[in-house]
Amino acid sequence: MRKTIFAGILSVSALTFAGCGSDDAANTAGEDGNFEPSKTIEVVAPAGSGGGWDTTAREVARVFGETEIIDENMTVINREGGGGAIGWAYVHGKEGDAHSMFVASPPLMFVPLNGQSEHGHEDFTPLANMIADYGAFAVREDSEFEDLNDLFDQMKDDPESITVIGTSAPGSMDHMQFVRIAKAAGVDPTKIKYVSDQEGGALTAVLNGSVDVFSTGVGETIEQVRAGNIKVLGVTAEERMEGEVLSEFPTAIEQGIDESFVNWRGFFGPPGMDEAAVDYYEAKFQELSESEEFAEVREKYGWNEMYMGSEEYSEFLEKEKEEIASLLEEIGLGQ
Amino acid sequence: MDAFQGLLTGFQVALSLEGIMFVLIGVIVGTLIGMMPGLGPISAIAIMIPITYGMDPAPALVMMAGVYYGAVFGGSTSSILLNAPGISGTVATAFDGYPMAQQGKAGKALAIAAISSFIGGTVSVVLLMLLAPALSSVAISFGPPAYFALMFMGLTAISSLSEGSTIKAMIAAVAGFMVVTIGIDPQTGTQRFTFGNVNLFDGFDFLIIALGLFAVAEVCMLILNRKNRSLSDDQKLGSLKLSKADLKEMSGPVSRQSFVGFLLGVLPGAGATIASFISYIFEKRIAKNPEEFGKGSIKGLAAPESSNNAATSGAFVPLLSLGIPGSGTTAVMLGAFLVLGVQPGPLLMTDRPEIFWGIIASMYLGNVFLLILNLPLIPYLAKILSIPRPLLISLVIMFSLIGVYSISFNVFDLYMLLVFGALGFAMRIFSFPAPPFILAFILGGMMEQAFRQSMTISNGSLSIFVDSPLPLSLLLVALVSLLVPAFLKWRSNRLAYKQG
Repeated sequence: MRKTIFAGILSVSALTFAGCGSDDAANTAGEDGNFEPSKTIEVVAPAGSGGGWDTTAREVARVFGETEIIDENMTVINREGGGGAIGWAYVHGKEGDAHSMFVASPPLMFVPLNGQSEHGHEDFTPLANMIADYGAFAVREDSEFEDLNDLFDQMKDDPESITVIGTSAPGSMDHMQFVRIAKAAGVDPTKIKYVSDQEGGALTAVLNGSVDVFSTGVGETIEQVRAGNIKVLGVTAEERMEGEVLSEFPTAIEQGIDESFVNWRGFFGPPGMDEAAVDYYEAKFQELSESEEFAEVREKYGWNEMYMGSEEYSEFLEKEKEEIASLLEEIGLGQ
Repeated sequence: MDAFQGLLTGFQVALSLEGIMFVLIGVIVGTLIGMMPGLGPISAIAIMIPITYGMDPAPALVMMAGVYYGAVFGGSTSSILLNAPGISGTVATAFDGYPMAQQGKAGKALAIAAISSFIGGTVSVVLLMLLAPALSSVAISFGPPAYFALMFMGLTAISSLSEGSTIKAMIAAVAGFMVVTIGIDPQTGTQRFTFGNVNLFDGFDFLIIALGLFAVAEVCMLILNRKNRSLSDDQKLGSLKLSKADLKEMSGPVSRQSFVGFLLGVLPGAGATIASFISYIFEKRIAKNPEEFGKGSIKGLAAPESSNNAATSGAFVPLLSLGIPGSGTTAVMLGAFLVLGVQPGPLLMTDRPEIFWGIIASMYLGNVFLLILNLPLIPYLAKILSIPRPLLISLVIMFSLIGVYSISFNVFDLYMLLVFGALGFAMRIFSFPAPPFILAFILGGMMEQAFRQSMTISNGSLSIFVDSPLPLSLLLVALVSLLVPAFLKWRSNRLAYKQG
């Protein structure tokens, strides 16, 4: 996909700003052990414009600026390619830089686990998690399936009869969130038929009956549910979500399937970021997360609040990665 | 709300002072960016997103739409004048547009492109207005088997894109297929021909290939032939005026391909690029004198130009009525909608009629603006050709590099541009045609994915392609288009033999 040139313009202006900052103070903590950014902060979206990472990065940078929680400029640049790998490699090369960070979500685990990136979450400095999104499993409105158990029972009897479609490649998020819930319901995870459509045809294929189930994010389903085109059999959230349509979606847990999946989204710094800088950003992200302005942003995009500080985030990610790795191994993917 | 009432609401938005102003800004920015080789609608829309922060959504989106179709409108200029496609949707424009310019008919070629674009754009807005709600069901009727059949049908045209050796055309097409397999395979997540190089994981962007094979290769040819004055300094703009015969020749392709382009634009994944190729091939197939195609045929220029603009409006059908972005450009458009707090989808028409109809109404206006802006500019644009050759060559190379770099800000892509430039140059010298390569590259990737999706769905049974009427009928059309020319040739040979 074609990339933004405005990001280029922004990065040029970032360089200009950076040139104005005093370099001696740039990468070190102040004398009292506190850190204050001294030049423009570069936020990398490892994807093209318009997607989830890009939107999150831009909204966070905008609200940080408007609320003046962080006084320095924040500029978002896009580094697209390899499902994130190019952007991660770019940030990885900025070891110790306290004025650089990137936005990430579960692909930061899936992509390296599938052998497509040298860098995974453990190679970076987790700053804070900000939001949570959840997966949804949808079928056509006139489908015979009324809930997840209907679907999974059929899959247990005749796994070949059901095809699941998602936007990401096998072994990545749309696939694995389904595998995770289905396995907990007793479906043989090695027999799940999954096809990927990266050209925007996934929803189309569900609507015209070519495939049976759409595994996607809850946000992608709302308009179609309101229009009566599809129904959501279950979502991967732990508890009922709030919101006009969202609150109607039953969770897998409510349906007796004890499993969930969070599409977390947060920010990471380059490896070896100074501890004082981590503390600084952690506190600023918390302030942002609690602000009214950011609550409006969450509402606008249907995101859920899920703040985690650096340490908690690290532990959470470790646990997630372990689970995903063993699941990938079980279905014969992963490296 | 019926369409008529809706359209009235739409015109209230579009014809307000604010509406007119933003349509005008949108189309001007779009045309200018589209004219630069390599910079196209995605860059143009991405530039405008931050500008629209905090704006009222209706005028902001009217402006964004203007940028989009403005860029497609302007994209033909550099294809025609320099053989350097402005955007991927205007690659096919160069096939006949550039030869016309070389023959000293640059002005005429630009005028034909502008008028064809205008008609294609306007016809498709009318179709969009009348049919958007109904067409959303067409957009979703294509499942993986039907996509496979559609792409297969497009590929049967490879032989008609070749001048001269069919074998060389086939070799070029196979090379195109091979190049499109590079990258991570979406169906398995396996890396293919990437040599572990992260820069190759996503494969090649279409524009790198198009600019390499056309613009860079053309520049090499210009350098090689610098003593040959075939493209001489006294090359004239030529008359802008189109004769009655010219208009008559255009009328057929334009009226047919406006519809074809629109319908292909409606299908998610097809878009302006595929539409322009299929329209070109379509016209060549039915033309009385197909041998003129590729040598400056008016039909060969009018067909892709009306089609790519029609496809642009068509692409708004799945975007506005289903919330499905059918292409990279409409995906960025969708992002722009969301930033403004508007969710495109089946309910947009009832929830936000002023936006739905405002965009449609503004397109009538935008297309008129584009025509009025572009026609008087033609003499100035054509002056590009009188820039001294060394300077012109440097400019083309520079713009190609900028265009490619703006795709991903990745220097690796620049090397790849040069690699494909060298390949294109070699193909020229050994007279392998570039269009079959390009066509195989565009259609091949989608065809493979659709085939394998179908195979997974059907558990490996090929009957999925003949079980439902849509893929079956598309495959039959493909078969007919393969067999009829062969049969006609066989019969004429036999008649000749009998008579001889």
